[in-house]
Amino acid sequence: MKKETMKRAAAAALSAVMLLSLGACGEKKKDAGEDSGESTHEITLQVGSDSALKGLEEVCKLAESEIGIKVDIEYTVAGTDTDNLIKTRLSTGDLADILVYSPGALLMTLNPSEHFIDLSEYDFADKLDETYRSSVSNDKGTYGVPMGTTRAGAVMYNKKLYKELGLRVPGTWDEFMENCRKVKDAGKNAIICTMGTSYTVQVPVLGDMYNVLADNPDFIAQFEKGETGFAEVPEGTESFQKLADTVPFYQDGYTAATYDDGCEMLVSGESAHWIMLTSALTNISSLYSDQINDIGVFAIPGDDPENVGITTWMPNGLYGNKDSENVEDVVKFLEFFVSDKAIETYLANDAVTGPLCVKDVAYPESTPDAVTEDMQSYFDSGKVSLAQEFLTQVKGSATTEVCTSLITGQYDVGQAVKAYDEDCFKQAEQLGIK
Amino acid sequence: MKKRTVYSYWFLAPMLVIYVTLFIIPIAISFFFSLTNWTFEGWSFCGIENFRTFFTEPALYSSIGNTFIYAFLTSSLKVVLAFLIALFLTSAIKTKTFLRSAVFFPNLVSMIAVGLTFKAILNPTKGILNQCLAWLGMEGRDWLGDVSTALFAVVGVDVWKGLSIAVVIFIAGIKSIDTAYLEAARIDGAGSWQILKYITLPLCRPAVNSVILLSLIGGLKSFDLIWSMTGGGPGYATDVIASVIYKQYAAGYYGLSTAGNVLMYLMIAIIAFPLQKFLLKAEEG
Repeated sequence: MKKETMKRAAAAALSAVMLLSLGACGEKKKDAGEDSGESTHEITLQVGSDSALKGLEEVCKLAESEIGIKVDIEYTVAGTDTDNLIKTRLSTGDLADILVYSPGALLMTLNPSEHFIDLSEYDFADKLDETYRSSVSNDKGTYGVPMGTTRAGAVMYNKKLYKELGLRVPGTWDEFMENCRKVKDAGKNAIICTMGTSYTVQVPVLGDMYNVLADNPDFIAQFEKGETGFAEVPEGTESFQKLADTVPFYQDGYTAATYDDGCEMLVSGESAHWIMLTSALTNISSLYSDQINDIGVFAIPGDDPENVGITTWMPNGLYGNKDSENVEDVVKFLEFFVSDKAIETYLANDAVTGPLCVKDVAYPESTPDAVTEDMQSYFDSGKVSLAQEFLTQVKGSATTEVCTSLITGQYDVGQAVKAYDEDCFKQAEQLGIK
Repeated sequence: MKKRTVYSYWFLAPMLVIYVTLFIIPIAISFFFSLTNWTFEGWSFCGIENFRTFFTEPALYSSIGNTFIYAFLTSSLKVVLAFLIALFLTSAIKTKTFLRSAVFFPNLVSMIAVGLTFKAILNPTKGILNQCLAWLGMEGRDWLGDVSTALFAVVGVDVWKGLSIAVVIFIAGIKSIDTAYLEAARIDGAGSWQILKYITLPLCRPAVNSVILLSLIGGLKSFDLIWSMTGGGPGYATDVIASVIYKQYAAGYYGLSTAGNVLMYLMIAIIAFPLQKFLLKAEEG
């Protein structure tokens, strides 16, 4: 009997030792991390991008010589996969010192007050443009500084081709459709669709926000409370109708075409229009710099030729990790990032895709005409609205799927609008926005 | 006698501790969180609300359908094709060793790499497949972009990739058959069809069962290949249960996606356990 008790005790002790050693592994790792941070002024920065960001890289190089901080840039995949990576790293505490990420509603899903450094107590936060600042702030603080300029979700078009075919910038959606038919009749492709880079299919719908708000100024406030939806207002349904209208004009093989293919098709004059975020100007200027001024931009038109306005997106922000071991260096770098010198360097290496987000900074000389002429005119006349994701946290996660289903004919317009509203409602419910 | 049984359990204890901490406890926790509204800030209890929301998911029913089509199609194709290939590779051919490695080769490549490679091959305008078809005077299709072909295109790739393991299991099964049976049959004047039907097939029954079970469960929880090839698209056309859950998780709906996982766990268990029992019984009988 006694023997058995001893055996029992021995086995229990053995398993206890195993458990303890598991715990000890975790402990040890943490210590090692703390040590390495102290001696060097090196910080890490995580950015989701498929291509190298020259502007960011040059500013980081400048930071090393100017303020003695070396930034180690880690590129991660772009798109929805980056969201999962970030969320996983946030919950396991593995996030880099600085995260580059979308402002607005997407930032809010990361619960910024919990994870990011509040910048509102620092002076440099006051340099931010108010509209931008509101998109990186909540009631508890301000968290980001802008990387680059604003963008618009609008129709990018090939000006050479327009001239060749004698077309004018359309004032209404019907005129736009008429232009597309003329392009098609001339044997060219009228509209580019890049479903291979899946998120791009939602731009025509999201870029129509100005037209939705033009006739329904209180739409977002009511939408957030669940009192209305896109299916409830005619302009909301029209946004999806517009997407459906464009489908017959897409190029062959549009389901597999990628973002880069889109840039190439537009620049080559093979295609006339691409309803896309104007951040594509960055890509176009780095790949086809001598042709950048062949590209023009006009807003997605509505019904009223007197009231054509553009829907804008705010640039990604740099957010400092609150749990970083280098908080001081991180703040120092963020302050440097919005200094005149850094912005000048950034813009010299990255196309300007829209008006700037830091007060009192001039456009560099190389700015494309599409920004200084086309887009600026909307900003000058105040015909600008923010995109949905910056106005409200409520933006369904399946917008891409809904739009793709509409394009591929699995949904009709009515079903698509309804599915979009339901998806938004589900998101509001799940994330506790009410 | 009884004493000895208890004693042996102590040797299992360390293993059991790991199993409980890394498997049983997370399952229990996930059952709990599936009943909550779970965000970064904390959780609040919401009863079976998540399960109700999960069942109203627009892509749910089509994704369940897709999951079954995918699982049964890949499983049955693998069983039939792999058996034929295994028969061929166990027969008296010269390049046997080379062919066996060639068949096994796809298994050495990671699933995501296979997915991305085939995505390029199946590209409607630039892909090799459609260019070859055009060269032969046939018209290719938009394999992954067309709602009606996307799922089957992925199934085809899954079979190509998963065939090798099934072939290896079948080869082992066929090789383990005692040659005495074959000799006896031949002496009795049995033809190759009769040998196949009355000796090879019944005697490699365990191998058949393993392949069915492994490939069916693999198909039911399949995710990586579908995600890398189509991302569940176009629209919801190739969404399976796992990709629906993944997208919910990606959107930050942690409670909801946990509820989905619990349901998927139950669903696979409900299919796999009786199937295994049935197959084992058939094997014994």
